[in-house]
Amino acid sequence: MPKIIGIDLGTTNSAMAVMEGGQYKVIPNHEGANTTPSMVSFGAGGEVVGVSAKRQQVVNPKDTIFSVKRLMGMKFSSPEVQKLKKNYPYAIVEGTNGMAAIEVGGKIYTPQEISAKILQKLKTDAEKYLGQTVTDAVITVPAYFDDAQRSATKEAGQIAGLNVQRIINEPTAAALAYGLDKKTNEKIAVYDLGGGTFDVSILEIGDGVFEVKSTNGDTHLGGDDFDQEVINWLLEEFKKDQGVDLSADRQAMQRLKDAAEKAKIELSSSQQTEINIPFVTADASGPKHLNITLTRAKLEQLVDALIQRTITPMGNALKDAGLAKGDINEVIMVGGMTRMPKVTEVVKNFFGKEPHKGINPDEVVAIGAAIQGGVLGGDVKDVLLLDVTPLTLGIETLGGVSTPLIKRNTTIPTSASQTFSTAADSQTTVEINVLQGEREMAADNKSLGRFILDGIPPAPRGVPQVEVKFDIDANGIINVSAKDKASNKEQKITIQGGAGLSKDEIEKMVHDAEAHAEEDRKKKEAIESRNIADSLIYTAEKSLKDAGDKVPADVKTEVETKAKSLKDVLQTASVDELKQKTQELSTAMQKIGQAMYQGQPGQEGQPGQFGDQKPEDEKEGETVEGEVVEE
Amino acid sequence: MTKKKDELKNKDNVAAEDAKRVEELENNWKRALADYQNLQKRVAEERESIVKFANAMLVLRVLPILDNLLLMHKHDEDPGLKMTIKEFEKILAEEGVKEIEAEGKGFDPHAMEAIEKVKGEEGKVIEVLQKGYMYKNKVLRPARVKVGGATSAKEEN
Repeated sequence: MPKIIGIDLGTTNSAMAVMEGGQYKVIPNHEGANTTPSMVSFGAGGEVVGVSAKRQQVVNPKDTIFSVKRLMGMKFSSPEVQKLKKNYPYAIVEGTNGMAAIEVGGKIYTPQEISAKILQKLKTDAEKYLGQTVTDAVITVPAYFDDAQRSATKEAGQIAGLNVQRIINEPTAAALAYGLDKKTNEKIAVYDLGGGTFDVSILEIGDGVFEVKSTNGDTHLGGDDFDQEVINWLLEEFKKDQGVDLSADRQAMQRLKDAAEKAKIELSSSQQTEINIPFVTADASGPKHLNITLTRAKLEQLVDALIQRTITPMGNALKDAGLAKGDINEVIMVGGMTRMPKVTEVVKNFFGKEPHKGINPDEVVAIGAAIQGGVLGGDVKDVLLLDVTPLTLGIETLGGVSTPLIKRNTTIPTSASQTFSTAADSQTTVEINVLQGEREMAADNKSLGRFILDGIPPAPRGVPQVEVKFDIDANGIINVSAKDKASNKEQKITIQGGAGLSKDEIEKMVHDAEAHAEEDRKKKEAIESRNIADSLIYTAEKSLKDAGDKVPADVKTEVETKAKSLKDVLQTASVDELKQKTQELSTAMQKIGQAMYQGQPGQEGQPGQFGDQKPEDEKEGETVEGEVVEE
Repeated sequence: MTKKKDELKNKDNVAAEDAKRVEELENNWKRALADYQNLQKRVAEERESIVKFANAMLVLRVLPILDNLLLMHKHDEDPGLKMTIKEFEKILAEEGVKEIEAEGKGFDPHAMEAIEKVKGEEGKVIEVLQKGYMYKNKVLRPARVKVGGATSAKEEN
């Protein structure tokens, strides 16, 4: 089955997304942007769609169609259309069956045909991006769209060569993007303040089905109005300061518009910004510059009236749904303007609830449509089964250290294996303690189970190779096995249901790990330096024994003394002291090699290698010496 | 007799259902694998384009400084300023940032943005207000231009 893409066919901008491997992905257009202006132009240079159409609007105002969504499925005689006809530079005419149509260059187009051109561009760009043909789509419409408007949208898709699998409501799509379809019996408010329109919808979710309880809004309120307020203020300030009116200067106005947009965006994250437009104009006295500081407080004051205009529709929507503010369980923010902290604050204060944020508000509707497409195409159903391990899984190793095998947030099913060895000579058993948690020390993590692998053939420590394998299946069942590579003896344990931790418990464990990170790191460092020291003492003793009388007595005594002094303080010394004594022993041990090399001049020797006995880095397939707890 | 038949029929049904399930699962598996491989390819492509266009974002942010230097130059013929602009443009050229030639050309909405319609030859760029640039065959920033074709003073503007 081919991919079903999700399309947010907006009044001012459109966006698209797709499900891939269980994740949504916003599809950028050919120009590289995630949103495409919903504009079509029929200029001398032919038909252009998107940002290119926008760029030549000034040249061909009569041939540049924008906001065609407002005409979709509308009667020509309706008051809304009559009002648009007066205000829009392109010709709105009466088409067949008394429907609104557009006349460009002597040709009549239905709004569906114009929308189809936008959809066609999105389709082509998506195909280029995905590297495969796109035939199916889910398209969103405002919740208040009636049947005629919905079928017009569907028809637009068909003209563009798309099988419209479903038409869904924009607020529903936003709720899907936030995964609210998994809730039951909740009331959701969706606040959508876009480029040119404001919509508020109240939804009810019951058993995975969304029902629109009410909608309200303002069809002519959006981000453009906010920009205009800032531009007006800049004009006024400049006039006050320099005595020049910039409003007639097209180039200056364009620069002011750019600066206003930039300032608005910057003030979403900082408290004030400096607006600099050098050489904005010139008069007899020379060039003039615009240099004004705009604070967030001032911006909020400038647009306060606009934000206040969204409050009455919120109240009306609640009233129409027969609900009180307190009945709303979830609030979702949609549209670029909701990035403004003041907007979020007003909505939060109104509903007394922290709104959902986090997904790009310009893309959230397209994402929801893509999720719906994924559900229809079977993509989502499958991947929802793919869970992640909420916490790290590992085993306890020498000194009570927790050694991770599968890190948290790994997508399951998955498996991992690592080879460990014994910590003592002739050790024949190892205990595998399966741990879950983020802490460095085994004792601070949760033990999911333990088992013993015995029958390891006696060998010096570090020689046996025990392969520990973790496997988590799609249901979260963990299988842990340990196998001695020499004897092929194997033991295993099965842990059901990931030990059934609640979300709160998981969060607590992750939080604890963060809080104790430094302390844990120190503990682990202490144990690791003790392990290194212990391993070196062992090597020293073994080397002396192996070398026998080839080592001069003074070297032997020195190494023995250093080894003993390290051994005596092994359990009590500080990390620094351990490190220092380990270094001393290591240096002394080099003399063993030197002595043996001098004793046999003909033979290849590598003095110094004895001192390099440090645990190797954990590489797959390599033995990590002395890491399993001694039985 | 009939009971046995029923039983057999039942078994057939179960087998058919199992076969269907196997097919469904195999499909799902293949699809997941395909998704993954496609993703890998795209990640590789995207990485390449990130490397290629890593400079683009920075250049885009620096361009307004050049715009201002050019505006300054209109008011001030200082030779030092002229040299500074030349140096600036040289570095951009060396990095592969190419100026979009617009003045006197036909208006192209893919590379230019019309700010004003003025008197002059229809569809021709009469004046460049802000230079546009290409970067590795992509429009980094369209040129802002005045386009000819206005027939009356009223339409102008």
